[in-house]
Amino acid sequence: MSDGAAIRELTVIEAVREALAEEMARDERVIVLGEDVGRLGGVFRATEGLYGRFGAQRVVDMPMAETSIAGVAVGLAMRGMRPVAEIQFADFIHASMDHLVGEAAKIRWRTGGDWSCPMVLRTAYGGGFRGGPYHSQSVEAYYAHAPGLKVVAPSTPADAKGLLLAAIRDPDPVLVLEHKRTYRAIRGEVPEGDYVVPIGAARVAREGRDATVLAYGMMLHESLAAAEGLAEEGIDVEVVDLRTLLPLDRATILASLERTRRLCVVHEDTLTMGLGAELCALAAEAGVLDVPPVRVAMPDLPGIPVDDVLEDAVLPNRATIREALVRLVSRERSGGAAPAHAYDPAIPQASSVIDVALAEEHTRAAIAALAEAARAFPRCNATFAWSGIVEHPDVIVDLDLGPDAPAAGRGTITLVDYGPEGSDLAIPFVRPGQTAAVRIGAVRDGRAYVACAVDHRAVDGADVGRFLAAFKSALERRAAPEAARAR
Amino acid sequence: MALSREQRERAYRTIALSRALDERMWRLARAGRAHFAVPCSGHEAIGAGYAFAMKPRLDWLAPHYRDLAALLALGMPPRDVMLCFFSRPSDPNAGGRQPYAHFGSRALHVLSQQGPQPNHCSHGVGCAWGSKLLGDGSVTVIAFGDGGAQKGEVHESMNLAAIHALPCVFVVHRNGWTQSVERRLEYATETLVERAAGYGMPGVSVDGSDVEAMHAAASEAVERARAGGGPTLVDASCVRFMPNTSNDDDTRYRDRSEVDAARASRDPLARTRALVDPRFAEAVDAECAALAEEAAEWAEAQPLGDPSTVLEHAYA
Repeated sequence: MSDGAAIRELTVIEAVREALAEEMARDERVIVLGEDVGRLGGVFRATEGLYGRFGAQRVVDMPMAETSIAGVAVGLAMRGMRPVAEIQFADFIHASMDHLVGEAAKIRWRTGGDWSCPMVLRTAYGGGFRGGPYHSQSVEAYYAHAPGLKVVAPSTPADAKGLLLAAIRDPDPVLVLEHKRTYRAIRGEVPEGDYVVPIGAARVAREGRDATVLAYGMMLHESLAAAEGLAEEGIDVEVVDLRTLLPLDRATILASLERTRRLCVVHEDTLTMGLGAELCALAAEAGVLDVPPVRVAMPDLPGIPVDDVLEDAVLPNRATIREALVRLVSRERSGGAAPAHAYDPAIPQASSVIDVALAEEHTRAAIAALAEAARAFPRCNATFAWSGIVEHPDVIVDLDLGPDAPAAGRGTITLVDYGPEGSDLAIPFVRPGQTAAVRIGAVRDGRAYVACAVDHRAVDGADVGRFLAAFKSALERRAAPEAARAR
Repeated sequence: MALSREQRERAYRTIALSRALDERMWRLARAGRAHFAVPCSGHEAIGAGYAFAMKPRLDWLAPHYRDLAALLALGMPPRDVMLCFFSRPSDPNAGGRQPYAHFGSRALHVLSQQGPQPNHCSHGVGCAWGSKLLGDGSVTVIAFGDGGAQKGEVHESMNLAAIHALPCVFVVHRNGWTQSVERRLEYATETLVERAAGYGMPGVSVDGSDVEAMHAAASEAVERARAGGGPTLVDASCVRFMPNTSNDDDTRYRDRSEVDAARASRDPLARTRALVDPRFAEAVDAECAALAEEAAEWAEAQPLGDPSTVLEHAYA
């Protein structure tokens, strides 16, 4: 955002209106078309004042024909204009789908880059205002499945303005999903004048350690409310506002999950094949979750009921999000990303012990020696899976220096060294995701026992001894006591 | 409005080249040398007629997929047609991404053609609307088939164009077949010109195998649009001589004798030939056959796609 811009509080609908007015004044190619957008100013008043200011040539009341509202916008965009079409309710958008998914999203690609289609289509989505099945739906999953299209879903007034300006200036077609309950319920600071919020950038709306909520639209605000409530109970939840649904900001999402390692996705759209499925898959593939994720979504129903009690029963809210988060943070860690001190009885281990001449100060030398030995025995620097053993190209030694400095659980092989306070001899255990661990016992009179354990499914028993002998040789070369070297 | 000798010769050259390319593509597709042919034999005078009424590189075209003649008239070289036919990545129409007949060229002001017919009607209306807003005096011709004309897309497009008196011309190729379905199961009227009145725009029926008649009707419509008089519907009848595409077997639904009879009286090539000197026509025929052969051989020899580029152009 530009420096020095004055900040006022606006509602989301005021921010949308301001973005349209400012961009129409800046760029004569921008025209607004849709049902009732002219003299009425739109059913939600998003275009209020534009007709009087910019005239009937640029603010056009369209016939009630959603197919051609989108199709004509495609043609205007191809012709060099910057159309901002409005579909009054997202529930009516499917008549436009052929032009959004079949045409706008494909035009650049299908012409090898010769043509482009820089159009914007805004629509009001979301429930919570007793609109019933045809004025309340969330439609994002259909359109976030259309490569070539971009889909944004602002949740704050500042983003509503900044994302809409970015959308109008984007060289590709952008679907802007505005949650109709945010229009007047959400008020916030909005800079005056020109700025954009980049498409494809999520935002950490609230920092936290214990879990990450991914949300957008009205559910962002419900998630923040749930997080504030849980903070009083000592549960510290991070909330990420996705802002753009296609393309997803994978970096921001994964960076948050790397920190919290627990995921809760919240959307008003129905559960099955919803955006939450993709977000959970993204996290699972990246291996950033310690426990299974949770999704809070509308149940798989054909529509949203209009009755007050029934609608409240199906839409997610701060209470159902809170309940899901409590469930999520109480889940036991398990699987490949367990804490480094966890012992996994499912790993069948083989072990061996060897006597090493060793100086008191040897930890740095031991790391280098273990890396050398592991490179010579790649099976000891691997991950076992029934589908195949993966040998890692790099050796990352995970160092366990005692209860106060345990292994981080991120390496490819573990080295345990409790120093003079540790046992003379103890067999380490293999960490999940690794195939070998080495433990150096306390040094007594220039000598120490070194024990090694391996995942027997990955490493042959005889190789344990060979690996340990290689480690001994590499270690003594680097850290034998003076007396031993003289011999 | 009769055409000058020079115009007649240009029309003949365009139609003869279209036919030579069409026949060559058909044979190559049948021989398995390319994926897909979309013959346009019988339709050529429509595209040639309206294209010569347009100002190239000022006016815009959202073409029917049987409008090869129009593309040639607006300046698409035979080699580009064949690159499209062989779906080579160097094809300026579709970059190896769309099958043949999905024309498009920014340089020639031809909007990119899509699969679902005729979605380009509203694109053409949007383009014409842009012309009106920009005030550059350009006209958009929007061409489609009588099968496509049954879609709500066409209704919405014609309605909007008439409301705002947009500078466009709707040209319907009325060949009486929608792939295998005959006219009486597609629409209850004999022609489609009646619809124009329903939208409050002028309509004209024309013999689409007569390039002079087609050119006259299109010229009047284009001039009206350019002068601010709004859209016109040109209902152009023609005969589809060939199957719908190279994937179609028209012996399952129509009698060849019907086509043969039509060829005798309504072949745009023969009818346009009658408008020029026979020696000129012979020379042009030989020239077009050579051009089609050279373009096909050249295009077929162009490289296939590079897999490292397959992810390009989804976004800017």
